[in-house]
Amino acid sequence: NGVERLNMATPVSVLRLPKGPDPNSRGFDPKSPRFIALCRTSISTSAASEVDSAELQREQHARSVLRETFLRCLLSMTNKKVQFHMYEKVKVEATFGASDIDVLNFQVSDLHTPIGVQKEALIRSQDVISFTFDV
Amino acid sequence: MQCGWPLLGPLQWIRYVNKQVTVKVGKDEEHRGWLLTVDPVSASLVLVDFREDGGTSVQVVMGHAVEEVQVLQEADEETADRLRTSFMSLRTCSLDPEELRMRRRGVRSWLEKNRVPVEEEGDELRVAGVLTIRAPYGPEDCFSSNQTVLDRVQRLIQTKPDRPGPRPETDPDPTRPSWTDP
Repeated sequence: NGVERLNMATPVSVLRLPKGPDPNSRGFDPKSPRFIALCRTSISTSAASEVDSAELQREQHARSVLRETFLRCLLSMTNKKVQFHMYEKVKVEATFGASDIDVLNFQVSDLHTPIGVQKEALIRSQDVISFTFDV
Repeated sequence: MQCGWPLLGPLQWIRYVNKQVTVKVGKDEEHRGWLLTVDPVSASLVLVDFREDGGTSVQVVMGHAVEEVQVLQEADEETADRLRTSFMSLRTCSLDPEELRMRRRGVRSWLEKNRVPVEEEGDELRVAGVLTIRAPYGPEDCFSSNQTVLDRVQRLIQTKPDRPGPRPETDPDPTRPSWTDP
């Protein structure tokens, strides 16, 4: 029988969603209260560190150890299949590309969605609960 | 509703490293694993799970989704070692020196055949003074800031005859047939 099932792997053209409010139409305006509340781009040093320089040094050392390990973890994810678990019970699979420095967006390829495969996509980290991959 | 996890700071987060934790996210969802690290920028937790089949899976829980983190136990030395070595080396090269030497020579002569200037520098190959090839000398082991040279050399190595079979996680084209050259 020559009828092929509609294959989930069929690539779909890029969806262009309606433009949002200016000045940034693709997501949050960085000056909006919502962006500032949800998309913190840095976590400042603790209050204790501001008074005690030895404490600050310890904190910075911990910060760099933690960050380096995290970056190595991200590096090991490159080109691997990753499952994203998102809000509203959404689970999608994609090949991991990269993260931006603030871990606000993930660049992925071959994102499998219920309506087809997006060849390239950006996933907002705010929409993600967790993601998983095999080493 | 967000708990205080993202506000704890590096000195508190680092105390959770190498401990087995359960993390509550959203409603009634829990993830468990060995905590490898916490990203100080996003407060995200990296949990490692050593599966029974010998594989290792990693789960990253976004800091903003964390409701609660509980410590179950401290890692014993063996587990701590496993955690330490799972990501520390980007690529572990598990070939013996003789095999490596042969491979290096093979890649070197292939490049020379294609008139690409190459020199051996210790365990590495240096191409045209701008590109370095590290063990095990595959296309993904090439490092250069010159995109053109990098591209050319990677392609060349990819088309080198007698190349060993594709490595599933790194070979860009696993469907490419491998062919042997007498």
